[in-house]
Amino acid sequence: MAEFEDNRPLKVEVKGLTKRFGDLLVLDDLNFNIRKGEFVCVVGPTGCGKTTFLNCLTRIHMPSEGDLYIDGVPADPRKHNISFVFQEPSSLPWMTVEDNIAYGLKIKKLPQAEIDRRVNRILDLMGLQEVRKVYPGELSVSAEQRVIIGRSFAMEPDLLLMDEPYGQMDVKVRFYLEDEVIRLWRELGSTVVFITHNIEEAVYVAERVIILSNKPAHIKEELKIDLPHPRNIADPKFIEYRNYITDKIKWW
Amino acid sequence: MGSKQKERVHAILYWGLPVLAVILIVVAWVLFSAQHPELMPDPVSVWKRLIKTFVKPIGNTNLFGHAWASLSRVLLALLIAWAFGIFFGILIGWNRTARAIFGSIFEVIRPIPPIAWIPIMIMWFGIGELPKILLVFIGTFVPLVINTSAGISMVDKINISVGKVFGGSNMQILKDIVIPTALPSIFAGIRTSVSSGWTTVLAAEMLAAQRGLGSLVTKGWQGSDMALVLVAVITIAIIGSLLSFLLNKLEKVVCPWNSNK
Repeated sequence: MAEFEDNRPLKVEVKGLTKRFGDLLVLDDLNFNIRKGEFVCVVGPTGCGKTTFLNCLTRIHMPSEGDLYIDGVPADPRKHNISFVFQEPSSLPWMTVEDNIAYGLKIKKLPQAEIDRRVNRILDLMGLQEVRKVYPGELSVSAEQRVIIGRSFAMEPDLLLMDEPYGQMDVKVRFYLEDEVIRLWRELGSTVVFITHNIEEAVYVAERVIILSNKPAHIKEELKIDLPHPRNIADPKFIEYRNYITDKIKWW
Repeated sequence: MGSKQKERVHAILYWGLPVLAVILIVVAWVLFSAQHPELMPDPVSVWKRLIKTFVKPIGNTNLFGHAWASLSRVLLALLIAWAFGIFFGILIGWNRTARAIFGSIFEVIRPIPPIAWIPIMIMWFGIGELPKILLVFIGTFVPLVINTSAGISMVDKINISVGKVFGGSNMQILKDIVIPTALPSIFAGIRTSVSSGWTTVLAAEMLAAQRGLGSLVTKGWQGSDMALVLVAVITIAIIGSLLSFLLNKLEKVVCPWNSNK
C-alpha cells in the first residue's frame, strides 16, 4: 500500500526504540512518528511486546536504547499531559467513581470548578451519574472499565494511550465504547495510541495501523485506513483492510 | 421453602444462636456454682459483690475508677503506639534502606510476649505508671509496625503505575495510593494492638498496681474473694468486647470500600 501525505505536526517521535529484559530482546529498533491529533492503532500477535512499547512511552519502563520524544522532548509524564488506560482493571478501590475520575485532575492541581465540570461531563458521557458515589468494587467489570476510560478522557490529554482497554468487555459494550472513543477523540483533538490484538477493532477505529512482528517486535508495516467514520464492518473495503492485516500478522 | 422464607429462618437463627449460647453459659454457671460454691460463686453473689465495690471502695475508688485506671493506661499507650507504629510501618514498608536497618530488629522482637518484659520494666522503672504504659506500648507497637509494613509492601503495582502515569510525585503516590491500599491492613494492626494492649495492661496491673481491673483480680485472689475476681473478669470481658465493637464501627468509617464486601 502506498505512502500517504499528512500535514499535521509531529507529536510523538520514536527513534531506535529498543527494550531488553536481561537477555530477552522485546522491542527491536522501532522507528516511527505519530502526528498531532492522530488516532493510531498498534496491532501484533499476542505477546509481541505491545504493552512493553506503551510502558516505555509512559516511562513505567525505561528503554534500553533509543528514545521517545513528545513535542521534541523526551517523554515525561510530569511534563506531558499523558493519559493511560491499562489492560487490567486499574480503578482505585478506595475512591468512589467520581473521585476516581477526578484523581488525575487533582494531581495536576486543576481548579475545583474545572474538576467538577469535567467529572460531571464524563459521568454524563459514560452513563455513570447514578453510580458516582459507589465504590468500584461494587460495579461490574465493564462498568469499572468505563470509569477507567472516563478517568483518562477527563484529563483531556495531549496523548492518550490505551492498552487493549476493551479486552474484557462484551461485544455490544465494546462497539459502543469504540464509538465513544472516536467521538471523544474528534471533540478533544487528542492524539491516541490504541493497542489491540483485535484486528476488526483496529480497522474500526484507527486512522493508521502500525503492524508489529512477533517478538522481538519490529515494525512490519504502517497502513493508513482510508475510510470515513463511522465505519461499517460489513463494507467490502473494511473487510479488505481486515484481511490484509490478518495476513500480515499471521505467524502460523 | 422459598428463598425469602429461607432468609428469614437464617436471620432468626443467626440472631438467636448467640443469645442461646450466652443463656447456656449462664445456666451452666448457675448449676456449677450450686454444686461447688467454694470454687465458683453464683451470679447473685457476684452481683452483690459488684454493688459492694461502689459502697465500699477498694483502693479509694469504685469499679468505674478501676476500669478507667486500666482504660486510660491503655489509651495513652495506644495513642503513642499508633503514632509511632504506623509511621515506622510506613517507613519500613516503603523505604528499602529503612527495611534493611529496622526490619530484622522487629522480626526478633515480634515473638517476645509483652508480659516477658515485666521484670525488666519493674527493675528499670519501678512500679509507677511509666512502666505499665511502656509495657502496653511495647505490646501494641510491634503488631502495628508489622501489619502496616506488610500492607504497604503488598500494594498492587498497577495502582502505583496509575499514580505514576498521571504524574504523581513519590509523596503523592504514597499519600494517595499506597497508604489507602494499606489501610485495611493498618486497621487489622490497630485491632490486634487494642486487644493485645488490653491484655497486657491487665497482666501488668496484676503484678503491681493500686488501681485497675488487673489489681482487683489480684486482690480478690489474695483475699480468697472469688466473687471479686469474677466481677473484675466480667468487667474486663465487657470492656474488651465494647472496644472491639467500636473498632468494627470505626473500620466502616475509615475503610468503607472494604467493609462493603
